[in-house]
Amino acid sequence: MTKHVIGSVDAFPPGSSQVIDVSGRSVGVFNDGGRLHALRNVCPHHGAPLCRGSVSGLMLPSRPHEYRYSGDAEEHRVLRCPWHGYEFRLVDGTSVTNPARMRVKTYKVEVEGDEVVLYV
Amino acid sequence: MSTQTKAAAERDDGRLTGIVDSDVHPNFANGLRDLNPYMSETWRQRLGIGGGADWTSRFAAASYVLPLDYLYINTAGAYRSDAAREDMAPATDAAFTAEHLLDAHGIDRAVLIAGHLLGIGAFPDPDVAATVASAYNEWMIERWLQVDQRYRGALVVAPQDPEAAVREIERVAGRPGIVAVFMPLHEILMGERHYNPIYEAAQRHALPVVVHPSGTENVFARAPRMAGTPTYYIEWHTALAQIHQSNLLSLICHGVFERFPELKVVIAEGGFAWAAETMWKLDRDWQGLRDEVPWVKRPPSEYVREHVRFTTQPFVEPHKREHVATLLEMVYAEETLLYSSDYPHWDFDDPHRALASVSPELRRRICVDNPRRLYGDRL
Repeated sequence: MTKHVIGSVDAFPPGSSQVIDVSGRSVGVFNDGGRLHALRNVCPHHGAPLCRGSVSGLMLPSRPHEYRYSGDAEEHRVLRCPWHGYEFRLVDGTSVTNPARMRVKTYKVEVEGDEVVLYV
Repeated sequence: MSTQTKAAAERDDGRLTGIVDSDVHPNFANGLRDLNPYMSETWRQRLGIGGGADWTSRFAAASYVLPLDYLYINTAGAYRSDAAREDMAPATDAAFTAEHLLDAHGIDRAVLIAGHLLGIGAFPDPDVAATVASAYNEWMIERWLQVDQRYRGALVVAPQDPEAAVREIERVAGRPGIVAVFMPLHEILMGERHYNPIYEAAQRHALPVVVHPSGTENVFARAPRMAGTPTYYIEWHTALAQIHQSNLLSLICHGVFERFPELKVVIAEGGFAWAAETMWKLDRDWQGLRDEVPWVKRPPSEYVREHVRFTTQPFVEPHKREHVATLLEMVYAEETLLYSSDYPHWDFDDPHRALASVSPELRRRICVDNPRRLYGDRL
């Protein structure tokens, strides 16, 4: 695991996302409400540039004809693939619909001093 | 040869025994008038069937007729002509049918589905539909279920008025020989909450809900709609699967099987090969579109396998015989298929001939085990 300084904290404000190349890998870095997440920029379904997708909460399993939206609880924040809309949890990259068999690689990303540091 | 000796002989031949036929149609000899003894004088008047069948009854607007397949015709006849006798139309006599279908084809149980009532979902007046359904149920019990112990019946309800349908289920569900609820199709797709009371009652009585094509599709305003209006019977007949596909999607996407976790639905004579692609496509789309229907909590195909059954007739005849096995594997036939003959209709399937390309183990599942599991002790 190699440490990469990828920029200053100011470059990753809440709500932002950036796709960066690190050691030949394309990685998406997200600041979701002050929480940093890094995921590999390849959808395990069909290889789409996953991190060009959108971040949102999750529509939770509910009774028929009722909706329950998760809001911003961290475990329910998802990245949706721009190609087919598959949802992956930001916290661990697991697929919402197929967690046993589909997962996106996640990376450790942290603020150290006033720098954002990615471990790949 | 006694019945017992004959059954033993068939077993020695390696022929399957205990076969359940999930789609048989008992017919009226004289249309709605056959129901006269089973409804009040008031309703005979209301329906215009109280008097004799004089010349006026041959014209529209003089008496009700059952909504059926009036605009698409099969010039070879829609019935097996070998099931008719002089002065006896096909499947109008329970004793003759028992001999002609059950004895002759080695069938142990026949589930009767509303011969001429298939299309009552098209009646504009829900009270007319409910009255006809109720009279039919009495007719079926007296004229068929009580005539031969091998008959079982699907009680008919009117889909236009779910509360009346529930009252009919409560009234008839406990009668001997009732194994299912036949719900004629209506303009409203099956997943909509309109039908929830019917599903609740069917689940409570552990009765599967059966649906079936009727001939009213696209003919009447309140009947199910197809994509476009076919010109010919052959187009119409082949396209019937559209309606069942739409209804299956509706059931899954409205979460009917989440709301009614014990409910079973039987799609009779709607085909089943299409179910493979429908399951695959739904499972795939669900992964990206799940948030629109978050009550669909599992891959949609799991609901189909657990809750939906398809009858076999008219059985598939792929160009390559080996594709039968592949297709049956794709649709989880070992769980989902129920043998049916569709007697006395023209496209009848004999259980031994039509399923000859199916392995003996799978044929046993389709003809015996799956229906027994579905209908349970009532069978």
